[in-house]
Amino acid sequence: MDKERALKRVKLALPAQAEYVELARLALYGIASRIGFSYEEIEDMKVAISEACNNAVLYAYDSPGGMVEILFEVNDDEIGITIQDEGSSFDAERKTSSLAGWHEKSLDEVQAGGLGFYLMQALMDEVEVMSVEGRGTVVKMKKRLQTSGELI
Amino acid sequence: MSGNKFSVTTQQDNDKVVVQLQGDLDLAAAKEFRAFMGPIVDDAAIDLALDLEQLTYIDSTGIGILISILKMRHEQQASFTIVNVPPHVQKLFDMTGISKFLTPNA
Repeated sequence: MDKERALKRVKLALPAQAEYVELARLALYGIASRIGFSYEEIEDMKVAISEACNNAVLYAYDSPGGMVEILFEVNDDEIGITIQDEGSSFDAERKTSSLAGWHEKSLDEVQAGGLGFYLMQALMDEVEVMSVEGRGTVVKMKKRLQTSGELI
Repeated sequence: MSGNKFSVTTQQDNDKVVVQLQGDLDLAAAKEFRAFMGPIVDDAAIDLALDLEQLTYIDSTGIGILISILKMRHEQQASFTIVNVPPHVQKLFDMTGISKFLTPNA
C-alpha cells in the first residue's frame, strides 16, 4: 500500500470565537477515526486541539475578526496538528514555563490558568509552541497510533 | 452547529440539589454555566452535587469552573460533591492532579 503512504493535508480556517472551537473537534474526529485512532486517543486529541484553539480565542486578538488556522497532516500511523493565529498578545514563554499540574498543590494554591498547556503536553506525543511578538502563535502537536499492527 | 450542546437540569429535594450536566462543557458553554451556577454556589444551605454522567466533553475551561466552585464551597464550609464521573473525564482529573479535590472517593 505504498501509494497510500503519502502525507495528506487538511486545512481549516475558523473565526477566533468560542462557538467555532467545536468545529475543530468535529474535524479532528472525522480525520482521526479514519486512520484508526481509538475512542480514547481521539478524546485525548480533542482536548489538546481545543486547548490550543481556546488560547487563540482568548488571548490572540484584541479586536474581533481574527482567525485560527488548523492544519492536519495525516499519515498511516500518525497525525500532526498545527494551530496558528496571527494575533499579537500571547506570551507562550511565560504560559508554558511552569508545566507541573496540581499534583503537589493545596487547594489554596490552585489557579486555573496555564492548565491548558499542561494538558496538551500530557495528552499528545509531541507539542511545540512558538510565539513571535506581534506575529502570532503556532502550536504544533503530534500523536502516533499506538497499535502497530500490520496494515491490510 | 452543535453535536453535543451543553445543557443542565436540576433536581431538588429539600436542601439537596443535584445539577446534572449534559453535552460538551467547553469555552462556548462556560459563561452560561458559570452564570447558572452562581446563585446555587452562593447558597451555603444547599447540599450541592454535580452529576457528570451525561457530560461528553470537558477541558481546562470547565475544570477551572469546577475548581472555582469547589473553592467557594470550601470557603463557606458548604457541601459539594461530584458524582458519576465518566472515565475520560476522570482521566483528565487524574492527569491534572485535581482528583484529590474533586473526586476523592473515585
